[in-house]
Amino acid sequence: MANITKRVSWSSLCEDRAPGEGTALLDDTPGARRCRRQEFSGGSLFRIGRLSTIDLDEEVTSKEETLKQPNEIPHNEKLLSLKYESLDYDNIENQLFLEEEGQMSPMGFKCVEISRWVICGLIGFLTGLIACFIDIVVEIVAAYKYKIVKRYIDQFVVEGGLCASVILWAILNSAFVMAGSLVVAIFEPIAAGSGIPQIKCYLNGVKIPRVVRLKTLVVKVFGVICSVVGGLAVGKEGPMIHSGAVVAAGVSQGRSTSLKKDLKIFEYFRRDTEKRDFVSAGAAAGVSAAFGAPVGGVLFSLEEGASFWNQMLTWRIFFASMISTFTLNFFRSIYNGNPGELANPGLINFGQFESGAYKLYEIPIFICMGAVGGVLGAGFNALNYWLTIFRIRYIHRSYLQVIEAILAAAATATVSYILMYCSDDCQTPGEHQAVEYPLQLFCPDGQHNSIATVFFNTPERSVRNLFHNFPGSYNSLTLFLFTFTYFFLACWTYGLTVSAGVFIPSLLLGAAWGRLIGNLLTNSGVSIFADPGKYALMGAAAQLGGIVRMTLSLTVIMVEATGNVTYGLPIMLVLMTSKIVGDYFAEGLYDIHIKLQSVPFLGWEAPATSHSFTAREVMSSPVMCFNRTEKVGTIVDVLSNTSAKHNGFPIVSDFTTNEPGRICGLILRSQLIVLLKHKVFVERAQLKQRKLLLKDFRDAYPRFPPIQSIHVSQDERECTMDLTEFMNPTPYTVPQETSLPRVFKLFRALGLRHLVVVDNENRVVGLVTRKDLARYHLGKHGLEELQLAQT
Amino acid sequence: QEFRRVFFLFLLKIICSLILEAPLAAQSSAMVSLHLVPRLIALLLLLPGRIRSSSPVFNSLLSDLQGDPELEERCRDLLRDFGRRYESYVKCAVPSARPVRICENCHIQFEMLRVVYNNISSDQADPENCRDSLLRADRLMLVYMLFQNLEDVWDVAHCSQCLSGDGLSNITLRYMAKLNQSLSCFESQKNNHSELCRVCRADYKDLNEFYSIMEKNQTLCIDIEDSMNATRRLWSKDFNCSFPREETVPVIAVSSFMLFLPIIFYLSSFLHSEQKKRRLIHPKRAKSNNSLMNIQDKHS
Repeated sequence: MANITKRVSWSSLCEDRAPGEGTALLDDTPGARRCRRQEFSGGSLFRIGRLSTIDLDEEVTSKEETLKQPNEIPHNEKLLSLKYESLDYDNIENQLFLEEEGQMSPMGFKCVEISRWVICGLIGFLTGLIACFIDIVVEIVAAYKYKIVKRYIDQFVVEGGLCASVILWAILNSAFVMAGSLVVAIFEPIAAGSGIPQIKCYLNGVKIPRVVRLKTLVVKVFGVICSVVGGLAVGKEGPMIHSGAVVAAGVSQGRSTSLKKDLKIFEYFRRDTEKRDFVSAGAAAGVSAAFGAPVGGVLFSLEEGASFWNQMLTWRIFFASMISTFTLNFFRSIYNGNPGELANPGLINFGQFESGAYKLYEIPIFICMGAVGGVLGAGFNALNYWLTIFRIRYIHRSYLQVIEAILAAAATATVSYILMYCSDDCQTPGEHQAVEYPLQLFCPDGQHNSIATVFFNTPERSVRNLFHNFPGSYNSLTLFLFTFTYFFLACWTYGLTVSAGVFIPSLLLGAAWGRLIGNLLTNSGVSIFADPGKYALMGAAAQLGGIVRMTLSLTVIMVEATGNVTYGLPIMLVLMTSKIVGDYFAEGLYDIHIKLQSVPFLGWEAPATSHSFTAREVMSSPVMCFNRTEKVGTIVDVLSNTSAKHNGFPIVSDFTTNEPGRICGLILRSQLIVLLKHKVFVERAQLKQRKLLLKDFRDAYPRFPPIQSIHVSQDERECTMDLTEFMNPTPYTVPQETSLPRVFKLFRALGLRHLVVVDNENRVVGLVTRKDLARYHLGKHGLEELQLAQT
Repeated sequence: QEFRRVFFLFLLKIICSLILEAPLAAQSSAMVSLHLVPRLIALLLLLPGRIRSSSPVFNSLLSDLQGDPELEERCRDLLRDFGRRYESYVKCAVPSARPVRICENCHIQFEMLRVVYNNISSDQADPENCRDSLLRADRLMLVYMLFQNLEDVWDVAHCSQCLSGDGLSNITLRYMAKLNQSLSCFESQKNNHSELCRVCRADYKDLNEFYSIMEKNQTLCIDIEDSMNATRRLWSKDFNCSFPREETVPVIAVSSFMLFLPIIFYLSSFLHSEQKKRRLIHPKRAKSNNSLMNIQDKHS
């Protein structure tokens, strides 16, 4: 076992370590010198990654070689990034915590409960407000843009020079998209995309860096407005969910670290446990504002984060959702000039279906449409998967990303324009359906180009047009061409460096081919299929289900957005079929993106064939341990070891040199850093004015300073720290023989971050973390193992 | 006279009870005597006829029995008046159906009809007024429904939007002048379509723009909409003066250039951008006893 890095004193560590040099694994740091590790007989090593796409045979021949030359591979989906850490969902029940809880009166607990409700109300209110803001700004700016473009197109049709209007439209679109994309690429890349995968991960228990910061929210809101106004094939619904989550994470803390403003309220909630609960409320409020679907929002949170859940939380989340949709509704009514008339519960409103009920004989048709949606959705996901891999591998510089977004915007405008130019489908506007920006182009006077009503409009309105325009508003060729082009446009657009969601494009796509099917049925001469709008709705549901593969929550969201419970059964059947069919071919879009971002995401259950694994094979070993009273120098060295950035350290007692010690607690890196920062050294006890309180830990949360920023002098390195008071004295442990599914269940149900593996005598032999579990994954050829990678 | 009235009343009662109660009794009671059956059948057969028949005796009797004949006479006048005006309106409206000129031609008749209807509906003299007796006395409410239908037609046609006072509004008259100008231009050039397109374009454009303004201000009624539609159809379809699709080549050139850009972009970034590599990290694992066995072996 080679010891690669030289032993250096901590003060010189910083200068010595050039970037990239500290990559080798440290097996024998000064801190680990007293750490007992279990030497198993055998001496050969456990092979990892044999089944992953990369053949590791050469590397595993000798560990020596592996250590010296860390191999580099192109990015693929079978990696786990070191960047992501777990949330500390499990409470640290150390002495400080118990003391504080003991001091709280029953009244105090009631106050905490009440402030939880207040926070949920605030979350709903602010989320609704943000939704309202986005909506109104998009409406105003888009109306302005379309008016300008329409004026020029109308003018150029008369005077000649139509190619100038293409360029004008493309440039306008590109300008908006460029603004949005620049902001995202430069200031906050995590704000790109819909944000739903990230929120899913957060609710799953993964801490995605910077995902719930205020800056992200600002960038997201601005980015969404730009990309929707820029005419990309995107919607503003997905980002609403992310926005809601950020609002929740911000409000519940009573302060903003970015603005350096601390309101000194809600301090009790400054830990991951509480924050995650509020984030689930925020996500629900976001869904609720986006679709006017409060119940759907609650179920979304339930579906995505159900592993840690309780009844009271459900009720609170429902409260937040209701407030959010009400707020949006109320402010929109003010904006529309009739305050108090609460008619717009969501950003997208599918509107009332006049034809009302469906007939029994239509159900088989709906189910077939579900299957079509599944196939198309799987195709969409597969295409997007390849595109995303290409993007990660080759388009990783921010200027390239901005250029890509600009080109996509220009191409979207151009393709729409070509279709409009070539289309001969002219329609007379009906009495009750004013076309917002009718483009005449080469149609006879008094008519407008039919395909322009879907392309030359914000996607939300296009969806509504497809649902509600009377039969015969679109001819079948138009719908087919639209579906065909929009499929590729939407697929291309998702994953660009702009903040935008995939909900609306999917709905639009599905509505188009659904209406096409409806048209064909209506024209088939059988008069029983009256309303193509109904088929558009089912197509939209099928397509969305085929792409995102959500089940319960999506059904409820669709039903609520339609406002018609009778459609519940067909929508459910459609979504079921599309999920089953889609899962046969490819995964859901969000899951694909989670994988491609190498997030250690834990599924509902352990992979089906993993029973033969035991905790011993899963765990990391040996473990860095500390004594109850540990030398400061040791701690600092262990913490500043960049190659093995551990987060939890078991505290052990009564060890001998080569024997693992008995476990007596667990301490986290963040706690150690706070201790070091406050210099809680035994030798300095007399100098300290006050005892360290839980509040000091909360104040540092959530951005604990890196170890490098804490200065420890040579003298202080010789001091010792007593960790007894701060460690969690009752960590969860499992014996070595525990099976993987059992470990998994414990982990998932309790939201653990560290699980200590002990032998018969309670001696620490290993530590199971999220990444140890997430690396097992059921692939096409049985169980596969993901690799850890630096990203 | 008095005696006759009482007698008829009595007779009426008997008839009514026979008609209404006998079948009911027959249905409800299972113990119907057999000799009653033929009578019941006869009654049942007669039943529809009796209710529908408009025997003068029946009607005059009823009206005689109901309240004050003097008030009835006043209402009867109103009703007659309503009928006359209704007739004249319908006589005007039907010929104006195609091409639609209903607002222009029939607004006077409609106004008169509305006046008499308002008279009826505002008649509230106690205790038995014409409003109640003409409009609300029965399930059918024929007068009300007849008028309501016509009023709906009037509303749907938006006729009030191009009327002002007791005639056509100014803006409507101006529109008509412009329309006539265009149409006369069409008439003068109708033999040569290409010439027509050139000569009449100014007039037509003027008309079209004026129409758009009216559309925005909501001063359109069905007459104007219909005449404009017809004119547009003439212009676009019959005379074929729409704008031709002339610039296909430049548009396609520009578009294909735009669509070509992303392809170049992706190709160049594929060729020139360095591929992002990930550095693998090998975590520390316990050396297990069955170490050299990899996962696949375990599960195959």
